[in-house]
Amino acid sequence: CQTSEVFKQGYVVDQTALDLTPVGSSREQVLLSLGTPSTTATFDNEVFYYVSQKRVRSAMFLKPRLVEQSVLAVYFDEEGTVKQIANYTLQDGRVFDMISRTTPTGGLDKSFLAQMLAGAGSQEATGAAVARSIFGGGQ
Amino acid sequence: AGIVVTGAGVATLAGVTIAEAAVVNRVEVRGNSRVDASTVRGNLTIKPGASFTNNDIDESVKRLFSTGLFSDVQISVSGSTLVVTVAENQIINQVVFNGNKKLKDVALKGVVQSRQLGPYNDQIIQADVQAIRDAYAAIGRSDAVVNTRVVPVEGGRVNLAFEINEGDRTKISTINFVGNQAFGDGRLADVISTKRSNMLSFLTRKDVYDEDKLRADEELLRRFYYNRGYADFRVISSFAELDEASNEYVVTITVEEGERYVFGDVSIESTVPGIDSDSLRNMIETRSGAVYSAEKVEDTILAISDHVATQGYPFATITPRGDRDFTNRTISVTYLVDEGTRAYVERIEIRGNTRTRDYVIRREFDLSEGDAFNQVLVRRAKKRLEKLNFFSSVDITTQPGSQPDRVILVVDVKDQPTGEFGVGGGYSNNDGFTATVDITERNFLGRGQFIRASVGGGNDSREYTVSFTEPYFLGYRLAAGFDVFKKTDRSYTGFEEDTQGINLRIGAPITENLYLSTAFKYSETSYNDYVLNSATIPSAPELAAVSRTVANGGHQIGALSYTLSYNTLDDQKLPREGISARITQEYAGLGFDSEYLKTTAKASYFHMLSEQADMIGQVTVGAGNVVATGDDLRVFDHLFVGQETIRGFDTRGIGPRMYDPVAARYVGAAGGTTYFNGTVEVSAPMPALSRDLGLRFNVFADAATLYGNEISTADKGGQRLDGNDMEWRASVGFGITWASPFGPLRVYYAEPVAKQDFDEVKKFGFGASTRF
Amino acid sequence: CQSDQDIDITAYAQSVEPADVLYNQGLANLQAGQLTEASRKFEAIDKQHPYSEFARKAMVMNAFANYRQGQYTEAINTASRYLSLYPNDEDAAYAQYIVGLSYYRQIPEVTRDQRTSQRAIAAFTEVIERYPDSEYVEDSQAKLRYARDQLAGKEMQVGRYYLERKEYVAAANRFRQVVETYPNTRQIEEALARLVETYYAMGLESEAQTAAAVLGHNYPDSQWYADSYKLLKTKGLEPRENKGSWISRAGARLVGA
Repeated sequence: CQTSEVFKQGYVVDQTALDLTPVGSSREQVLLSLGTPSTTATFDNEVFYYVSQKRVRSAMFLKPRLVEQSVLAVYFDEEGTVKQIANYTLQDGRVFDMISRTTPTGGLDKSFLAQMLAGAGSQEATGAAVARSIFGGGQ
Repeated sequence: AGIVVTGAGVATLAGVTIAEAAVVNRVEVRGNSRVDASTVRGNLTIKPGASFTNNDIDESVKRLFSTGLFSDVQISVSGSTLVVTVAENQIINQVVFNGNKKLKDVALKGVVQSRQLGPYNDQIIQADVQAIRDAYAAIGRSDAVVNTRVVPVEGGRVNLAFEINEGDRTKISTINFVGNQAFGDGRLADVISTKRSNMLSFLTRKDVYDEDKLRADEELLRRFYYNRGYADFRVISSFAELDEASNEYVVTITVEEGERYVFGDVSIESTVPGIDSDSLRNMIETRSGAVYSAEKVEDTILAISDHVATQGYPFATITPRGDRDFTNRTISVTYLVDEGTRAYVERIEIRGNTRTRDYVIRREFDLSEGDAFNQVLVRRAKKRLEKLNFFSSVDITTQPGSQPDRVILVVDVKDQPTGEFGVGGGYSNNDGFTATVDITERNFLGRGQFIRASVGGGNDSREYTVSFTEPYFLGYRLAAGFDVFKKTDRSYTGFEEDTQGINLRIGAPITENLYLSTAFKYSETSYNDYVLNSATIPSAPELAAVSRTVANGGHQIGALSYTLSYNTLDDQKLPREGISARITQEYAGLGFDSEYLKTTAKASYFHMLSEQADMIGQVTVGAGNVVATGDDLRVFDHLFVGQETIRGFDTRGIGPRMYDPVAARYVGAAGGTTYFNGTVEVSAPMPALSRDLGLRFNVFADAATLYGNEISTADKGGQRLDGNDMEWRASVGFGITWASPFGPLRVYYAEPVAKQDFDEVKKFGFGASTRF
Repeated sequence: CQSDQDIDITAYAQSVEPADVLYNQGLANLQAGQLTEASRKFEAIDKQHPYSEFARKAMVMNAFANYRQGQYTEAINTASRYLSLYPNDEDAAYAQYIVGLSYYRQIPEVTRDQRTSQRAIAAFTEVIERYPDSEYVEDSQAKLRYARDQLAGKEMQVGRYYLERKEYVAAANRFRQVVETYPNTRQIEEALARLVETYYAMGLESEAQTAAAVLGHNYPDSQWYADSYKLLKTKGLEPRENKGSWISRAGARLVGA
């Protein structure tokens, strides 16, 4: 029985729309026919990136494997007309290990016991300065 | 001359004209006894020395009223002094509710506006009285009487009491339907949620008359008729009259059924290139000629859009067009498939997760940010999140994104306590009264992990287990975990079996319905205080097995096993449609004592026989086989069949049995190497009782056989092995199950119709388990 | 389910103590650390002498006592009630500060719903904007930065989740959100480094180089820059600022900020 599933993710490429935006067409034309880009590369939209990926998951418990990726890059010149259109595929990508280190963040992370008791433990406030200012101004 | 702004009760502002911005250098407050002058000044927008205009005055009056302290506020300017004259409201010191039983104080406090420290004001009090009466009407007591008592307390404050006389329950005496031919009154009464009062309605509260509930019932009737071909069905009127004397409602619903329609011709048209319509033909559930059903049309639309979405057309929309032929009463349906608006998911916002971590929720989505908005994947994610059972509610809504073709998916979850300290009790006749105490945490540290420690026991067994499961082992959707267990069991006559071990397991979903789990199980069995009480005679094979174990200091089993299960049941607790099948194979050996390959399989098919009577048919078939892969099988490694497979017989009640010629009686089941079993069962709700009690009766027929015992002649000692050939046993019976608020209860009576004379019979079975 | 017993309201008289006595008792308890007792005294003033001058002072003291006990919801309710009754009073700044602190204390760790951080940010912003010369502005600003860093931390956490699964568009947009909305938080360095990783993995080398250049430009001795530099080096690339790209413009803003 057919256990594998195919996921087409990201931008849904539409060939007819693509033909409507040759080199030289304006930014509005590109936005109209291709739609909002997956991500852009400049503040003033100097490059539009339309990214679509295809993944295959041969069984429900496996991670979907990236089998196809196409990045449609639409470059604009200063006047905002399409200067060049490039297409990057999976082969252009690189495979490497992400940096595992992460920047520390704060916030409460209740220990298991605290969660079980789920009591609103009274955390001691550090606002010593606050207390002083009150008593000062209290009377 | 002073300019006076008056306002009594509601701040109605008389027209005040000041030539231009005026200035005062002093603000004088008059008429306040309890309220401090600085409090009044604090709420004025007019400050001495600063200029002020008309709307400053309006604003100040409005603000002073909003504090609720004053019944009247007058602001006037005389010379350079602003004079603010106030009349103080009395303040409520204490609000009390007397005579209320059905609605607790907390509920009533939420309904009334008067509250502690709030103003004492007649208009508010009248509104509160009406609010309380409405609250009582909502729970079915429309003749409740409410009046108030006020007692002054010094310092200008008062205590306020609402004296309530709740009256008794307003019942619904009769519900009658007018104009229905196709379906009887009884049948329609089952469809709507408003019910006639019966002896249990104080528990179910279904007989409380409520206007919107009646409107909702009209919708239920419409759906019921639309799904059975009556496309022109109309509810002409529905109303309830209250008979004051008997405090009971009579509900009358008048309907017009109209003609019954069947489907004309059914077709699909697709305007989307790449989707050809006939490939979708088998998705259609609305066959021409079949009775018209709105639900079937909706199911078809869902099936087509699901199919089309997974083919990579997430934006395709399907709209049905029905055209009716009044003469020969057919409706032909055309499904139009066309390109919908393109929308991409910009962000997935997860909210409300105070305990569960973000990635535990996000990983249930097969859809990520930047992908096309695909309703199918969103629905699948919602189902998965609900199945996690970490949340009391899961709602996925969309909000407009930063661009017209962008949408933000908002996932609102409400964490529910997933830690349980459970005490379970139960009684079943194979091990008598059982009790378990356990601590379970289904969402350990919000990581989705499951841990459980439990102590359980019956009158002759104790069991301790500790379990842990990580649902996403190494980032895969693999449920990996372990169970450590220790069990002492005295159910064998004469000695205490002590087993402990560990079970390492990994489970993996293959598709939405197919699940594969594999496990390695190691267990050690030993026997202590191996003393024989005189009354019983142990079966020779058991004695042989025990003495061998005692001789070589314990019996170790190392077994690799896998289970493939397939489940398409529509509801796990009370399945009406679907198949649940599983096959398990366990290979024991790996250099340990027991060496066998045990295979067991079971498949059940559920089918709704009659939707009207909610009658469910179930057919189950099972089989099992064990074959020795080393030296011959121990008696304990054999398969045993009894009450849990064929009702009407005791535990280990059927199959080969040892006979002791000296004592001239049978001394214990010897098990077999192969068994087959089958069950046919029909269940339906108890007649005459309303369905929401959860009481169902069932009629069943079981059949089973167990044979092929392979105990070595040496182990048989002097005893004789009987019944080792394939003899079918069968039984018929009936039972009652009750999904009670305390947990499922079941009881049955089964009469064996085909048995061997040495089988152990037990005609009456009872089982209950509660968790609280 | 026993029902609440009926109360005879006539007997429900309440002993009334003078407000100032109650107030001083409350302060004494507060100083002695008897927070619950202090709260009870302040609440008594509010009940027996509602809306009096002492009631006003007692309300803000009660808010502080609740906060010290960790009863954050009560502290927020009492302080907010004070703010609605006495919006421009000399203790209003302090009441608003208490609201901020109460939310601040409940900020959960980044993998959880960060609405409390947003509420803390809103409350502290109120302190800074409405009471600019109050003594709590400085501490409010510090805690505001911490809360914003939490929001940035959440974006990073989700971004890393998507980068691990090679969902590059989702990851890039999340890291971009940090660079554009939370540039002055500690997460900015890692955000730029992750953008280098994301673009590099997609094969968009010029973007990767620009991101690395901006990172190096603003945080030359950061460990993240060293990692990004090493990553680009594996393909013989140099961090090179492509002037027009949004990142260099963002970078310029960083330097300017």
